[in-house]
Amino acid sequence: MSTNPDKLLVVNNLATTFNTSAGPLPAVGGVSFDLNKNETLGIVGESGSGKTVLARTVMGLQPRTNVTVTGSVLLNGHEMVGVSEDEKRKYWGTEVAMVFQDPMTSLNPVMRIGKQIDETLRVRLGMSKNDAKAKAIELLELVGIPSPSQRYSAFPGQLSGGMRQRVVIATALACSPKLLMADEPTTGLDVTIQAQILNLLEDLKEQFHMSVVLITHDLGVVATRTSRIIVMYAGRIVEMGTTREVFTNHRMPYTRALLESSPKVSNPSHTRLITIPGRPPNLLKLNQGCSFAPRCAYATDRCHQQRPELQIAEEPGHSFACWNPLPSKREAATR
Amino acid sequence: MSEFIRETELSQEALLEASMVERPEKNEPLGPLFWICVGWLALNIIGAIFANVLPVQSPLNQDYNFVNSAPSLHHIFGTDDLGRDIFARVVYGSRVSIAVGVGAMVIGFGIGAPLGMLAAYRRGRFDTFVTTVMYVLLAFPAIIAVIAVLSFWTPRSMLKIILVIGFASVPLVYRVIRTATLAIATKDYVIAAKVQGATDRRILMKELLPNIAPIGISFLLIGIATVVTLEGALAFLGLSVNPPTPSWGNMINESRTVLAENPWLVLFPSLALCLFLLCLNFIGDRMRSHYDVTEVKL
Repeated sequence: MSTNPDKLLVVNNLATTFNTSAGPLPAVGGVSFDLNKNETLGIVGESGSGKTVLARTVMGLQPRTNVTVTGSVLLNGHEMVGVSEDEKRKYWGTEVAMVFQDPMTSLNPVMRIGKQIDETLRVRLGMSKNDAKAKAIELLELVGIPSPSQRYSAFPGQLSGGMRQRVVIATALACSPKLLMADEPTTGLDVTIQAQILNLLEDLKEQFHMSVVLITHDLGVVATRTSRIIVMYAGRIVEMGTTREVFTNHRMPYTRALLESSPKVSNPSHTRLITIPGRPPNLLKLNQGCSFAPRCAYATDRCHQQRPELQIAEEPGHSFACWNPLPSKREAATR
Repeated sequence: MSEFIRETELSQEALLEASMVERPEKNEPLGPLFWICVGWLALNIIGAIFANVLPVQSPLNQDYNFVNSAPSLHHIFGTDDLGRDIFARVVYGSRVSIAVGVGAMVIGFGIGAPLGMLAAYRRGRFDTFVTTVMYVLLAFPAIIAVIAVLSFWTPRSMLKIILVIGFASVPLVYRVIRTATLAIATKDYVIAAKVQGATDRRILMKELLPNIAPIGISFLLIGIATVVTLEGALAFLGLSVNPPTPSWGNMINESRTVLAENPWLVLFPSLALCLFLLCLNFIGDRMRSHYDVTEVKL
């Protein structure tokens, strides 16, 4: 079914609208991107920019009511939009798996951690009880849990946050998925553990030949670990390109504002952190123009009137949505 | 500089260690009082089941030598105005009380709990429909409905009383279980199980049920206690099992006319009822903290 065998995920004009009592809320408004096999894609944006909703929509996870999804998600050639839950269940776990933000709530508190892993193995892969247990212990060891055969029968409440996130990852990997969606996998953890978990994800990606979608608001997380980055704002992609391009040759003022607002070690001490003025827009009352225009220093009348579409930048694969883009490196050099 | 690096490396290791700290798995002890309560309940249930085999006098036998008497060696709990042995009547009375309490709750939970879980998990039209029906039923005072049905559904029997109270409790059970399930069904671990490919049935049985069980069990125990007292209230209105069959409720009811002369008649069935409920609640509470694995115990 898939036209390009290298593309694991093809998302086309995907939109998720929540039907709230105050009117339709376009949490994701027409997003298109694709993901190659064995690639790590970063999705960054402020809180409320639609990252999580996008990830859940791509997975086919929406509430059963009050939501409209349009567009298309082709996961390894299988359409995930507008199909029944039974259909999606065939691909969950084996084609795509998810690591959640908060390891404190993503494990069943009354089930032993080993059981949570071998449950999947037995149901999905039809393993015998003993085989599943052996495999679960193997997975626990793989994600770096010390003395896994003893931890197999521990309850989540007996483990620290970092350990729990390792268990969550082990659970997600149980059926060797081709795509791992990691929705802010380190936000609930402290900084030293964050690096461990991210390195672990990177190692496992190589070992399992997976593709990873890494969703985060922390640019430091995606800088070294992704090959491409998508920057989201108000439910739309505002800039997309290779990690290098986005970091060094971004054209969208929002991307720059986002990069400038992260603290740098090279700054002298007591440097005041640059913030983006204003607030993220109310998705219920989106203006017809660029949604970043009210906060943008470069905004013109056109920005307020007409919404910019993604346009191709100089480098292949790099695109941005802006009427008044920042000068590219090449432009700056010729000037 | 190199010293500094070594120091940070050390602290990294220490941090890694710290993140792997194992917390002891130690359940709160049940305590001797728990076992006393279990023993008391067991005694009650054995008494109810084997009342005719045990050396207990007949609850209907009238001893005219002792009418309205205080506890004595012949009648350890005393006798009522017809000379019937109160001890025997308390023992036989537990049959009706316990059977009605447990039986009605079995019906209430048997219907209300699966409906509540399903509605909260599936949401949508099914949930809207069932919840509306249940809330309409809840809005109607259950006691009036129970009295009305029992008044006309004669001859009264224990089974009918169990059925009526059981069905009347369905909306209450439904509401409690639905609310409890709603809180759990949106938790990440339920979604996580779903995206691992777990079927709805598995999610209901393995993810939702064990997590709402503590709430369900506490409500079940309170429910049994409430139904036992409700049976007493119905007996008070003359709507429970027909006399002379004793129940704790109708014994308390009958004794109201002789309360001043013979307080023993109201004391012992009330005490039996009270202790039964107290033990049930205490057992439920101890078991909840004993089997709770969600909290870290240090």
